[in-house]
Amino acid sequence: MDVLKYAIRKLIGGIPLVLGVTFVSFVLMVYFGPDLTFEMLGKNATPEQIAEVRKELGYDRPFLARYAEYLKELATLDFGLSDSSGEPVSAMLSRSIPISLALVTPGFILGNLLGVLLALVAAYHRSGWIDKAIMGFSVVGMSISFLIVIIAFQILLSSSYGLNLFPVRGWNVHSFYDYVMYVTVPTLASVFVALGYNTRFYRAVIVEEMTRDHVRTARAFGIRPGKLLYKHILKNSAIPIITRIMFSIPLVIVSGSLLIESYFGIPGVGKVTFDAITSGDQPVLKAVVGLTAVLFVVTLLVTDILYRAVDPRVSLK
Amino acid sequence: MPPSLRLLLLVSTFLTLAGCGEEQQAVAASDDAVSPEIKLFRSSMDGAPSTIDPVQASNVYANAVVLNAYDTLYRFKYLARPYEVTPNLANGMPEISADGLVYRIRIKQGVHFIDDPAFEGGIGREVVAEDFVYSIKRQFDTKQRPRGAWLWQGRIVGLDAWKDAGSNYDEPVEGLRALDRHTIEFRLVKPYPQLVYTLAQGYAAIVPREAVETYGREFGSRPVGSGPFKVISYDSARIVYEKNLKFRQEPVDIWAEGYDPDTQAHTGVEAIHERSPPFIDRLEINFISENAARWNSFTKGNEIQYLSVPNEQYDNILASKDPIVAKPEISEKYHMRHSVESGFVFTSFNMDFPTIGYNDDPEQERRNKALRCAIIKAFDWARRNESFYFGLGRVFPGIITPAVPEFDADLSEDSITLDIDGAKKLLADNGWNEDNIPEIVYGTTAGVIQRMFFEQFRGFMKKIDYPSDKVVLKQYATFGDFVKDTSNSRLPIIGKGWTLDYPDAENTLQLFYGPNGSPGSNDANYKNPEYDRLYEQSAVMLPSPERTEIYRRMNQMVIDDCVVISGLSRTRIYLWHKDVIAMPDREIVSGFFLRFVDLVDGKNS
Repeated sequence: MDVLKYAIRKLIGGIPLVLGVTFVSFVLMVYFGPDLTFEMLGKNATPEQIAEVRKELGYDRPFLARYAEYLKELATLDFGLSDSSGEPVSAMLSRSIPISLALVTPGFILGNLLGVLLALVAAYHRSGWIDKAIMGFSVVGMSISFLIVIIAFQILLSSSYGLNLFPVRGWNVHSFYDYVMYVTVPTLASVFVALGYNTRFYRAVIVEEMTRDHVRTARAFGIRPGKLLYKHILKNSAIPIITRIMFSIPLVIVSGSLLIESYFGIPGVGKVTFDAITSGDQPVLKAVVGLTAVLFVVTLLVTDILYRAVDPRVSLK
Repeated sequence: MPPSLRLLLLVSTFLTLAGCGEEQQAVAASDDAVSPEIKLFRSSMDGAPSTIDPVQASNVYANAVVLNAYDTLYRFKYLARPYEVTPNLANGMPEISADGLVYRIRIKQGVHFIDDPAFEGGIGREVVAEDFVYSIKRQFDTKQRPRGAWLWQGRIVGLDAWKDAGSNYDEPVEGLRALDRHTIEFRLVKPYPQLVYTLAQGYAAIVPREAVETYGREFGSRPVGSGPFKVISYDSARIVYEKNLKFRQEPVDIWAEGYDPDTQAHTGVEAIHERSPPFIDRLEINFISENAARWNSFTKGNEIQYLSVPNEQYDNILASKDPIVAKPEISEKYHMRHSVESGFVFTSFNMDFPTIGYNDDPEQERRNKALRCAIIKAFDWARRNESFYFGLGRVFPGIITPAVPEFDADLSEDSITLDIDGAKKLLADNGWNEDNIPEIVYGTTAGVIQRMFFEQFRGFMKKIDYPSDKVVLKQYATFGDFVKDTSNSRLPIIGKGWTLDYPDAENTLQLFYGPNGSPGSNDANYKNPEYDRLYEQSAVMLPSPERTEIYRRMNQMVIDDCVVISGLSRTRIYLWHKDVIAMPDREIVSGFFLRFVDLVDGKNS
């Protein structure tokens, strides 16, 4: 019951956050974002035609009226039709978000799981050659551009110049086998890069935990390394790890991974969002920004509940 | 089963199902496609259309996809070069009155739209003349967000007035009528020799009113046409069509299509002679803007079968640049074709800027002209070509491109010849020096290549002692923002490319016609009364030596007035797999070529 009350309070408390995010982003969209008018005009447009298109796009309406409409759309989850394709925004998102989710989830899970594992190993062997090797690998993963990693993996694993094992591009998924074929190379590329950042971050957290008195005491009692790492170090490092993972989720769900989707020809939400940004497709942008803000509020709530689950000292007030 | 394994299986199933989602239709299509009984052609484009509504088919990508789902009255011949128009849904070329003001076009009978729930009983009805009238009227209805009205604006009697009166589709337009179910009549305000070309554009594709009214703006992603293919799925990565089984049976006469055995025999197109297109069961057009991914997919062997080769691969595929010859290993695996694009790239001076263009003070205006001429002389086209176009571009003087019949191969090349000394002398003779020379802002969209264009331009200017800090770059995040500033005449120097809408030099000459000034396409804001008079005179003339002569005089005026640094037409190289029978073209023929594509042995490899 306490958790439910807390959740309701937290969700209500999140409303100003959503309003703030949507307001600022809407100001940016309206006053600093791309103007679709000139892309929608034919050649040799007259000033009258420019005015007609602006009216059709709703650019001539007062800012506050447009913002109020945006809030109504967010509340009803009906964002209207895309200014570019004319397709319902909800249809575009409901088609592309599951694809992005299916695409990035394995890499997200593996990147974090392996990151934690490697961080534990590196921290345990701090300053030894194993630690240095893992950190060296991490730096490599962080230093190489994601774009280069994608192209290299694509050539190495998918193209006729390499092993030619997987499709270069596409998303014809209707069986688990297809899914594995299409998701493997993107996953490997994203894990390669994510491992660098994740491992370094998690190692820093774990190393700090390892210097605590209770760990020294546990060691003095002769606790086995596995138990020490899992029970006394990892569990106590859970809060920053959970924070990092949880706050990545909204972006993973809504933004997808533009580079991966573009290079592997996958029709996910990252590409939809990128196209909307470059073309100034405000209905799509409004939906993506609004949903991301709402997801962040939900994430904040879930994160707090998880804190409580891993650390009983945390109280939900 | 251990709980962890059960969880893993559950997550995998969820992700697989999530990934299938709305793609189910396309998935099924692709499954069939791998069957040896199905003929599948996987094409590619280096960009994606934002919509497939003909009313908004404003770029090469949208035009190409629209032309495969919809019918147009005319199309361009598959094989003829220079390009020629031929009837498509029209029953023949138009009957034109002696004064050139009345066009009468009969359309083929018994042609049907694809089946769609928008029709009564879900069965596609016959395409009639009224459908064409409706489709053109849509371009004059602001609610449809049209982009192609410029083709017919001020040309057809009563059409502009119809729009001004509120675009009521039940109201007739005097100059655009269906005389009966299969006859269309145009009444023109003045002769319009390019009219037939406009009827081969995606903008003029024929749509059924009931589908537009049923789907509203969603019509842009739910095409209902009578073209050779019907769309079965469409997203940001690709469009998938299947053969329209209702498409009319019209055997191809390759000789009438302009077949030239000397240059085209290697394509194998003789195999389609006297057969009715489309020949493939399924067509996929993949939108791949990333060059590396497009190339990897093409060379893989079992993915895309055709591509326009990215510039950075030219070195890997060519044994010789002049003449253009493929390396043996490339010729062995692929068909290759190269052609000079129909459009061109150029850089305009905006004459609205008193520092570089027109000026109230005649003396200053004379000096400004000298400044522009000096900049043109300093522009090193050979280096531009070598640096960015692998030395394969065709550099030519003026604005009449090599792709049109009015091109003058004997025109003096002074305006494209590097002359540093001449440029410096011109500056000195007209009192320009480092202190008084004006700052010029070079506008372009954001991007690495665009930045390199600018840096090279600044380098050229440095050679005539133009201070580097006075050649300034202004980059725009999006093309729309760039167009916004050019449309509002806010940029003194504008680098851009132009793709020809039809093979007539009028299409580029209008870029410098005074009344088309900003926000129109004359973003140089060139205003020359004599040029405008000649443009208006030639605009109503049919192709003739006299018209060509006028075009060339206008071209010379633009060169003499130093209004533009021009130009270069890029050479495009196309590769396609050996098992594909095709003569690809992304220029004027555009999407029309796909209906003629076939596969060797009649099966998908």
